[in-house]
Amino acid sequence: MNISKITLSFLIGLLFTGLANFAYAQTEEYKLDGMTFGMPEAEVFTEDYDGPPVVGEYLTMLPNLKPLDYEGNKHHEVRIDIVAQEIEVADGVKYKAWTFGGTVPGPVLHVKEGDKITFVMKNRSDEEVTITEPTKEGSPFMQQVAENNFMKAQPGTMPMPHSMDFHAGTVAKDDKWRSISPGESIKFDWVANYPGSYIYHCGTPSVLMHTAMGQHGVVVVSPKDGYGTDYEVDKEFVVVQSEYYLKKGAGDLYQYDFEAAQSVNPSHVVFNGHQTILHDQPLEANAGDRVRLHVSNNGPSGTSSFHVIGAIFDRVWLEGHPFNEMRGMQTVLLGASSSATIDFIVPEEGKYILIDHEFADAEKGATGTLKAGPRK
Amino acid sequence: MKLLTNIASVATVLSRWTIMVALLSFAADIAWAQQNRVLVPSGSFHSVMPEVEGEAVKVNTFYLDVTAVTNEKFEKFLDQNKNWQPNEVPAVFTNKGYLKHWKEEGQRPDYEDVGRERPVTNVSWFAANAYCQWAGGRLPTLNEWEYSAQLMDFDSSTEINEFTTKLVSWYSSVDTKNIGEVGSTGIKTRVGVKDQFGLIMEWVEDFKPPVADELSLDCGTVGRMQQLGNAYSYAASIRYITRMSYNPRSSTSMIGFRCAYDDIDSKFKLEEEEL
Repeated sequence: MNISKITLSFLIGLLFTGLANFAYAQTEEYKLDGMTFGMPEAEVFTEDYDGPPVVGEYLTMLPNLKPLDYEGNKHHEVRIDIVAQEIEVADGVKYKAWTFGGTVPGPVLHVKEGDKITFVMKNRSDEEVTITEPTKEGSPFMQQVAENNFMKAQPGTMPMPHSMDFHAGTVAKDDKWRSISPGESIKFDWVANYPGSYIYHCGTPSVLMHTAMGQHGVVVVSPKDGYGTDYEVDKEFVVVQSEYYLKKGAGDLYQYDFEAAQSVNPSHVVFNGHQTILHDQPLEANAGDRVRLHVSNNGPSGTSSFHVIGAIFDRVWLEGHPFNEMRGMQTVLLGASSSATIDFIVPEEGKYILIDHEFADAEKGATGTLKAGPRK
Repeated sequence: MKLLTNIASVATVLSRWTIMVALLSFAADIAWAQQNRVLVPSGSFHSVMPEVEGEAVKVNTFYLDVTAVTNEKFEKFLDQNKNWQPNEVPAVFTNKGYLKHWKEEGQRPDYEDVGRERPVTNVSWFAANAYCQWAGGRLPTLNEWEYSAQLMDFDSSTEINEFTTKLVSWYSSVDTKNIGEVGSTGIKTRVGVKDQFGLIMEWVEDFKPPVADELSLDCGTVGRMQQLGNAYSYAASIRYITRMSYNPRSSTSMIGFRCAYDDIDSKFKLEEEEL
């Protein structure tokens, strides 16, 4: 009697284990309007991997963008592991973040329209992963974090199921974006069919909580024929706006404030993950430069009225698509998960403040500085 | 002949002694059982699962462990069930996280490090299941666990909200390296079940119910689970969704378990069969 009960339970369990194998149909690649759709089924597996959590040539830390140095299209192999990390997001405000690659936001991935990406992600939320020790198998991102650990990242554990949702990918979410348990890895392909700047985030419910806890980043997909002003651009940066909903916990650390998150009442609204980083480390240019910003509002819930005090946006490509060109804009309204690629001319030597013109958010931290030197 | 008789008589005494010891330990087991599990009376509760909208879910009487299974108890189970020891267990029943925090030689618990009375974690659903079968019980069903968890007394809705807010914060900040001992949270249901919140997450028998596929863990799942406006529902939805995202081989530092029993004598009966 007992034996049969045990066997039955175990069979049910084994069925759960195997369920994923039956749930998704294999698809076949096809072309439409010159774009590629129909990626093979994602693979979920366990691996002994304990190497660098971020691997890939074109992954960099904000606000850097590694320029593309290849002709035509490329097949990228990219790893961004999920790690819990204790980080500082404002002076004295530390919390245990759920992250892609160890920082908030995660690394910036730069690819070209039409590139294929083979993406691997291990859920290492139950492992202590050090992100400040670059190795040659890692990415430029790891080197940059090691050289500039402004978030004071320290390894932590916080086991939870997680997933990856690349807005730059056109795939079925119940396959590629599925949740994986701590210790599991997922591998899937996607093609960057559309040019522009796209957020990525964790799609495991509560998506609000997972994104607010730090699981978001940006993919910049450069258009295959470029933007009209490419040859005039002197400096190029990525700026990401996002909110934190934190309150003081019992110890030194802050914790997620779900009531604040549900009522969209953030404790901090920030550029590039930290309340003062873009003042402490201003973007740098010179008078007369044409500066390009890829600005993404990663939310999870707020909007951004992005403005640069003292400048007018010469060109704005909404979502970063070269066909969506606007001119002479003072402010760009970005809903949650919207982006724009913005060119402006730095008029003279001095300071230019990047700001969310929704001033309540600016006063919670959504500001930064562009420092301009003399005209050269 | 005499000698033989003597030997026989010694043997008889020894055998009687063995039986006495067995009976004593048996009685101890019954006492242990009665001390460590309590009756959860039948009743009904509102589940956050959307499959039966608005209807209360009925739950029959069952017994539930007062606390989660500890490292020490799990070690005892491994002593008697060598096939569940970390280096013996078939890979199909666990992932690589299985008991990874038991670092002492032979993968035994280093109690200095993990604590005798801390809940065992890094155990797969299969392992939890096997333990409860061995203990003469089973894993509680999802409905039993959630029903028991709701048997809490609060003085006001403000108190409920404060409790729930703390609980959600706990989900975002649990320190799995420094888990407290069982019984240490001070959180107790009205029938005496301890630490269903705030210590670890726990396996239940049907953690991935059939409706999980239909929900497919979409973004809308949280919204659907909050339809009752119950103060517990947000925290509960996180529990349901997180559980549904695991697979039965998952072993993490956050998941342990406790057992349920259909009657108080089940441990007694199991040992009787073995005798």
